[in-house]
Amino acid sequence: MMQLPTPQGKRLNIKLAALCLLLLVAFFLDIALGPVRIPLRSICRIILSLPGEDSTWQYIVMQIRIPKTFTAVIAGCGLSVSGLQMQTLFRNPLAEPSVLGVTAGASLGVAAVMLAGGSITTLYTIRELGLSGSWLITIAGCTGAAGVMLLVILISKAVRDNIMMLIIGVMVGTVTLSIISIWQYFSDPELIKDYLMWTFGSLGGVTGAQLYILGLATLVGLVISFLSSKMLDALLLGENYARSMGVTTQRARVIIICSTSLLAGSITAFCGPIGFIGIAVPQMARSVFATSNHRVLIPACCLIGTTLMLLCDVIGQLPGSQAALPINIVTALVGAPTVIWMILRKNNLSIFG
Amino acid sequence: MTKSRFFYYILLAAAFSCKEKASQNTPPSTVSNNDSPRVTTTIRYAHGFTIDYHDNYKLVHVLDRQGDRTDTLEYLLVQKGHPTPAGHPNAQVIPIPISSFIAMSSMHVGMADFLEIADRITGLGSFQYINAPLVRANIAAGKTKQVGLDGNLNNELLISMHPGLIMGMSNPQATTAKYKILMDAGIPVILNAEWLESTPLGRAEWVKLMAALVNKEDLVNKKFDSMVRSYDSLVQLASQAKEHPHVIIGLPFKGSWFIPAGDSYMAHFIRDAGGGYKWGDTKGVGSLALNFEAVAPEALTADFWLNIGYVDSKQDITAKDPRFASFKSFRTGQLYNNNKKTNDIGSNDYWESGAVNPQILLADMISILHPELLPGHTSVYYKQLQ
Repeated sequence: MMQLPTPQGKRLNIKLAALCLLLLVAFFLDIALGPVRIPLRSICRIILSLPGEDSTWQYIVMQIRIPKTFTAVIAGCGLSVSGLQMQTLFRNPLAEPSVLGVTAGASLGVAAVMLAGGSITTLYTIRELGLSGSWLITIAGCTGAAGVMLLVILISKAVRDNIMMLIIGVMVGTVTLSIISIWQYFSDPELIKDYLMWTFGSLGGVTGAQLYILGLATLVGLVISFLSSKMLDALLLGENYARSMGVTTQRARVIIICSTSLLAGSITAFCGPIGFIGIAVPQMARSVFATSNHRVLIPACCLIGTTLMLLCDVIGQLPGSQAALPINIVTALVGAPTVIWMILRKNNLSIFG
Repeated sequence: MTKSRFFYYILLAAAFSCKEKASQNTPPSTVSNNDSPRVTTTIRYAHGFTIDYHDNYKLVHVLDRQGDRTDTLEYLLVQKGHPTPAGHPNAQVIPIPISSFIAMSSMHVGMADFLEIADRITGLGSFQYINAPLVRANIAAGKTKQVGLDGNLNNELLISMHPGLIMGMSNPQATTAKYKILMDAGIPVILNAEWLESTPLGRAEWVKLMAALVNKEDLVNKKFDSMVRSYDSLVQLASQAKEHPHVIIGLPFKGSWFIPAGDSYMAHFIRDAGGGYKWGDTKGVGSLALNFEAVAPEALTADFWLNIGYVDSKQDITAKDPRFASFKSFRTGQLYNNNKKTNDIGSNDYWESGAVNPQILLADMISILHPELLPGHTSVYYKQLQ
């Protein structure tokens, strides 16, 4: 459909090409800008691994900026596609990856490790067990997300209606968050501060092997979601229609929940909760491409989500200053006005494009 | 060299004399009204409180800083058996000398141990962060109770214990409102803000407030003055250093690095120990929230890495983030953490007795940064990570 030489297809190709260009610009901006001023020439030479550049600059570009930029790309793709899937599955433009409680599950896992100091075990004893460092938090986040995901899938098998599923997902999320609140209530202020830091979200803490694992998990999630785009198209027209087209809605639901959980759960475990991208980007994709075809929307979400995440990261770095704003704050600050502007411009907010 | 070695022994003797006295488990002294009624103490380094002496009572003002707002809280420390003086309607009245009290912070335990009144601690916010052997023995014997931290104070237990005072910590989570029920029940509450003091001696000087509560001005003057003398001579010693090796502090978390600001407690220590500190000129007594990238150029080249956080080995550091292995301090092995005196329950004495032994902390830091100035000194609170 994308390759058809119709005027529509041509316009689509132009739009996609423009987005790709924008994405490339954002990608290089994110690598080029930061609190330490490095000339563009040096950055290019460092990326091409030409010799003779300052070793501090090399470290900053290769060890700090490039992993952060790739994390932004991965998180941008994953969160926006999982948001799109949720909005289609529930036929609700306000749905987002967190409605199933998966992000809350990841938070619960992290809170269990960080806040457990006051009740079950201390960071000291965790260290004695030989589990240390950032892996511990990540594994805890993944376990929490997977636990809630299993629970939601089990429930989804028993439930017939998607709206009921939505309500149950929100309820599971609420229960999970209140467990975290109980934990926070009984914890020391310093531990709560560590946990709060995590909830601000961060793209800068994923490096080395973690980046590969996050990349792989996201890739698997994206492939599943692209393969199920026909199912998503059918679901958008209603469950009865989907059934008439030969789509088993229950199986479709399980597949979509699996891929969403994989995407949102792993990104939340590694980067902390990052809001808004999941809601805002699918709206933008539909509005820009004026279609409800998921074979267009999924790549469009990837492009827009990545670009937006990269730009948010650039803004969050506050070029010229030494401090940085947490990514979760910037995405909301940038995302909300963008969505409002789009709605006002089109005076329409629909999941049908 | 011989001269500096000789100097070192004098210093060391001075530095440890206080500590040894403090750790002797003196039997509970009988509390009498006449411990040191006429001796007064003056506050020279701390900015958070004042003490004024009057006949049979002492007037204490504690500046309670909550964000940008500063409240002055007034306390009347009235000698037991004497009437409460008029003219201070807003003051909380504390009958002194107090014979029992509740400590909310490990710093208070360190101070009580320093004043040899650790046996008067009848309750603690949490048992988790305790080192003093006497206090731990009392916990084991069931004489000291756990009363809960800010969020969940066990009010009923506290009221039934009739403590002479609750010494809380001033922080945004512990506003006086949380202690309202206890104050209404007639239990005096002081919210200490020693951790907001920006100088090592200023923080340690809060021990004088506790001394005033138990009429031990005589003892505190002697011990505090000797602490100040050894601290000052160590500062003198460190000032002879020709080089100022650069120091980084703390551990970044998820891309943010909280760096002590130029007027902070840690920055003062580094300056006094003859270290170089890139953020020494920044304003503020708290910490600066910096981007990892903004700190990286300094971290890559700094000679020493101190107070690293919840890590115990080089492996722990690379497990947090493999990128830290590129730091110069990591490659040369100049990593020192302040957790040498961490006990079997994971409580670090640095935060307890360390608060009232700034001269030992300084000696440790000088021996790390300038080993030639204090040859033969064995670190008390710091250990090199392997």
